[in-house]
Amino acid sequence: MHPNEETLNAYADGSLPANEAAEIERHVASCVSCRQLVDDLREILRAAGDLDLQDPPARAWMRIERAIQLEQEGARAEGAREGARAVQAGERDLVSGHGHGPAAAGRYGRWLAAAAALVLATVVGLRYAPGRSQVAAPASQARDGAAQASAGDAAQSVENELRQAEAHYENAIKGLEQIANAEQNALDPRTAATLQKNLAVIDQAISESRAAIRSQPASEPAQQSLIENFKTKIALLQDTVALINEMRKGNEAGAARIVSGLKQKGN
Amino acid sequence: MRLTPLMLLAALAAGAVPALAQDAPQHIVVVHQSVGAARTAAYQGRDRGPEQTDRFSRKLKLGRDGRVSIGNISGDIVVTGGAGDELSIDAVKRTRGDQSQLANVRITVDDRAGRVDVRTEYDMSRSTRNNSVSVDYTVTVPAGASVELKSVSGSIKVTGVRGAVRAESVSGDVTTTDTPKVELAKSVSGDVTLSGIQIEGDLSASSVSGAVRAKGVKAHSLDLGSVSGDLTVSDVTCDRLNAKSVSGAFEYSGNISRGGVYDVNLHSGTARFVLANPTGFELTANTFSGNIRSDLPLTIGGDRDRDRNNREHRGPGNRAMRATFGDGSATLTVHTFSGDIVIARR
Repeated sequence: MHPNEETLNAYADGSLPANEAAEIERHVASCVSCRQLVDDLREILRAAGDLDLQDPPARAWMRIERAIQLEQEGARAEGAREGARAVQAGERDLVSGHGHGPAAAGRYGRWLAAAAALVLATVVGLRYAPGRSQVAAPASQARDGAAQASAGDAAQSVENELRQAEAHYENAIKGLEQIANAEQNALDPRTAATLQKNLAVIDQAISESRAAIRSQPASEPAQQSLIENFKTKIALLQDTVALINEMRKGNEAGAARIVSGLKQKGN
Repeated sequence: MRLTPLMLLAALAAGAVPALAQDAPQHIVVVHQSVGAARTAAYQGRDRGPEQTDRFSRKLKLGRDGRVSIGNISGDIVVTGGAGDELSIDAVKRTRGDQSQLANVRITVDDRAGRVDVRTEYDMSRSTRNNSVSVDYTVTVPAGASVELKSVSGSIKVTGVRGAVRAESVSGDVTTTDTPKVELAKSVSGDVTLSGIQIEGDLSASSVSGAVRAKGVKAHSLDLGSVSGDLTVSDVTCDRLNAKSVSGAFEYSGNISRGGVYDVNLHSGTARFVLANPTGFELTANTFSGNIRSDLPLTIGGDRDRDRNNREHRGPGNRAMRATFGDGSATLTVHTFSGDIVIARR
């Protein structure tokens, strides 16, 4: 039986008591889907740690308090949706210039951070684990006369999950691509070209996975590939945004331009 | 109440984490041009002028287990572990443009107790659009020191440093030799080459387009990643492995631990484990259009639902295997979309 999400959260951030952590570790060692989820949670914690620290607008605290209140009331799912809406609203405000940011530079940083976090939150909000549905299907169903129907339902369920996950990943990717493309001049041309070339490699892999799923919708390797390639693309786009942030920081503001100049001169 | 990752993200996204108080910088030494410019007068190309250089040299007492960080924009960083407790910094500013450009670049050394931060700064207030100055660093640190190195455009080489090492370059190679405690080695377009790692913790090595190679590695966990480069680790022992590449191949040559967990995820590359006397593992392998092959005698097994699914969709799209070797104590999970999966004996 899989641990619940809260337990895996606690395990991922190291806040679980040692005896419980040991138990979860044993399960995670043998359960690919839970291990992937824990890996994702740890990646989020790591990525969150890399984000710039910013002073919050007062409005943000109200939203967070509201989210906490909702969670305390036990409306966990509703709370998560409110949090996501708050993030999206915050992002819109920042992009449109209606945020409380005192200066364009500060607003800019928050916009990137908001978008990066939005993507992570979106991905966590609906995570697809190939094969989990099949594993979860009761074995007894296979023994009764409805085996064929159950298998068909399970396959349909998996395909539905996949489609939903795909939509979320695509939305997340779209958001990050907008940032990366709009701010790509912060990178020197060769670095930007390297990143674009590798994004194209991932896009090709995504196309191949999709083609495989079209030909064999129930193929677990094809489903798994598609999801992994989405995750890889998001990771690369996040790295790109992080790199842009680095380039914008302090003295490195003109680094890309300098690097570009150096390369053009052949030094 | 515990902050869940989702809430943490929402808070971060809204900019809700208060800015942490920065350590107040202590005495900051800014060195403009310590030594007069020297010319090499080598004319190496139609669009290049003679190389102008400006040398910088400084020695500081660091302590045997001090920490050093170097941030460079363009140019190589070479760091070597040495005897004693002194930090030696030699840097050369170079340009083939106007000599006056050298003055627009300065090397800043922030010297605090047990810690030295070195960075290259370009004076962006001047007309530096065509600035063509690079800075090459040659640094000797006490062997036990920890180093953190970042370069935008330039290679990084670290040799004989026994403390923790973190090295990142955007467009250069990252190479470490005889550096047991590499924690992070990362590049966007360069290769990452590591050797002589012996760390109780975790090692993360990645490149976007370059290859990642590691030889002589003993670590608790290895995290390897690339988009289009190959991942190759040899003479390796680790308890946890996570390797991902889209178009690159993966090869692991060495030992797997009892109870170890090894995950490999590729798209078009071949995954190859060459194992030295493994006590046992449970293998979960699948590939859409590749083949699965093992030189070791495996006991084929798996859950019934999965097996039935495989029978129903035999052929391309469902080449999957669950199998056990020996005591089955380690867990190998290998996925590649179109590459092969190979388990071999060393």
